[in-house]
Amino acid sequence: MFRLSGKIAWASLTRRGARSILVVLMISVSLWGLLFMEGISDGMIEQMVSNAIRSDSGHLSLFAEGYHLDPDLSRQVTDVEAIDDFLENDKRVLSYVKRIKQDGLVATAHYSRGTKIYGIEPEEEKQHGGLDGYLFRGKFDFGPLQRGAIIGFKLADKLQVRIGSKIILSAQDRYMEVSSVSLKVTGILKTNNMAIDENAVFVASKKARQLLAVDKDVSQIAVILHDEGQAPRLQSDLQQKFPNLEILRWDELYPALLQSRMMMENFNLITSLLIFCIAALGIFGVMLVSVLERLREFGIMMAIGTRFRQIGNIILVESFFLGFFGFGLGALIGGGTLYYFKIYGLDLSIFSDAFNEFGMDAVTHAIIRPSYFFTALAAVIMATFLSVLIPLWLLRKAKPIETISKI
Amino acid sequence: MHNFLQIKHINKTFNPGKEIEVVALSDVSLDIGQGGFVVLSGPSGSGKTTLLNIVGGLDAATSGEVTLDGQRLTGLSEFELSKVRRDHIGFVFQAYNLIPVLSARENIEYVMRLQGKSSQKCNERSQALARRLGIDTLLSKLPNQLSGGQQQRVAVARAVAATPKLILADEPTANLDSNAAESLMDMMQRLNQEEGVTIIFSSHDPLVIGKAKRSIVLKDGEVTADDRVC
Repeated sequence: MFRLSGKIAWASLTRRGARSILVVLMISVSLWGLLFMEGISDGMIEQMVSNAIRSDSGHLSLFAEGYHLDPDLSRQVTDVEAIDDFLENDKRVLSYVKRIKQDGLVATAHYSRGTKIYGIEPEEEKQHGGLDGYLFRGKFDFGPLQRGAIIGFKLADKLQVRIGSKIILSAQDRYMEVSSVSLKVTGILKTNNMAIDENAVFVASKKARQLLAVDKDVSQIAVILHDEGQAPRLQSDLQQKFPNLEILRWDELYPALLQSRMMMENFNLITSLLIFCIAALGIFGVMLVSVLERLREFGIMMAIGTRFRQIGNIILVESFFLGFFGFGLGALIGGGTLYYFKIYGLDLSIFSDAFNEFGMDAVTHAIIRPSYFFTALAAVIMATFLSVLIPLWLLRKAKPIETISKI
Repeated sequence: MHNFLQIKHINKTFNPGKEIEVVALSDVSLDIGQGGFVVLSGPSGSGKTTLLNIVGGLDAATSGEVTLDGQRLTGLSEFELSKVRRDHIGFVFQAYNLIPVLSARENIEYVMRLQGKSSQKCNERSQALARRLGIDTLLSKLPNQLSGGQQQRVAVARAVAATPKLILADEPTANLDSNAAESLMDMMQRLNQEEGVTIIFSSHDPLVIGKAKRSIVLKDGEVTADDRVC
């Protein structure tokens, strides 16, 4: 009987081929839109998160207690060797780097700006977050005498400096004395992390220590993990081991990014709901008309002994056919589109100025997550179920004798 | 012949208590034996179809009782009635009413499949019936590819296929020409004799009425004549 129900359902759909194709297309195009929006918007956010993690925070950042709120050279991480020992032996840790950070002033002959000075080891940064991958101009190197500086592209723009330009970096050292150093711009970075692009001047760690009169202490230890999900656990373990440190996750350092991620999740949820409504309305319309058109046919079937449940099965199967074909086609096209943009990226360079303002990449690489498809499938299944409720209720009310005037 | 179908004091009033109240059947009582070949005749509006609907469990009487082979149909739920219709009653409709998306074979086998019979059994039965009804070459065709007469034969085959105790046919020949009508009636007569199935049909065609073993005449919802042909 199930085969017969399937055949009746299938035949009914093919008999109204144009209408069925239209509904399948409606569902699949909506689904394609949903998958595209989810993949691209998640891609944008994840790129922003990745930029922040790679260029600054890591998954975890270790600071001296109170440094985060009041960054001062008097608050530095001192127990560096013990932390080195812990991190090197923890299998969850992929890499970590140590940085000296201090607020300062960068000046040219014509302009000056407040800045954040980063004392780094370029080779370690390359291995850690691939900071050299963000190089926009010049080279990721401070030169043999380490008199070079790598600066954020927005800061470079404001200072109107280019590769080879001379800059003066001034800051208060640990003895509260103002100290300066003359450097040449060797590289310009574009990380799309606004904190870096607008403020950062990277100098060699050795040069920063000289400038700030800091010996072995560090301001920040940024840690990247094999798996982001392990961050809270490692944070807690580190906190237990080093109670005098302030250990922050990337989302605590960049709460705006976390909010963006959550906002995007909500946005995706709303989009899913919209798709669900469109699919449900489409299937509902078709099923309602289909049932109303075939009331007599169903009446005859009931008259000769078909139970309401069996007719309900036929209608459900019809609805599921529509839903599954719509989902299949939509998932295929949507998945294909996302795969393309995952590989080649969605190039919106013509809006790059606007994207830069928001710290976003102009080329967005889509993300494909199985959850997109599961959510969409669940939405379509729900839609198919709900869309047949009213047609089934109408059918339930109809008595065979009322649908067929004569036996 | 024992009283296979008992109809006791059936009354049917449409829109009771309203201005447009219509009395369709008034105190109709009939006993029909097993293997009967009975025609209900009478002018339009005499209550033939209403009586067939009530006997078939498709409509409820306002009062009275119907008993089929010892089973009281009055008061059964729709679910139970559906089972009775599936297992014990075959229907032949004036407008054939085949399921349009199923082939002739699938239409014939439909009720048997509802009963959960095996494919092999269904195939054998549909093949045998089709041969007897002269439609064995048409089994793969859809209803819209068949003539009216052919469709009605398929409908008869469907009604008979599940070996019901009773077949109800409301003006089965109304849409057929006289040759097709006579042929259909001969066929139903044969089924009645060979399968022993009780057949009640309505008609006002004298040719059809003449084939019946028993003729019941209805007028204004009342039985006015009941003639048995021996």
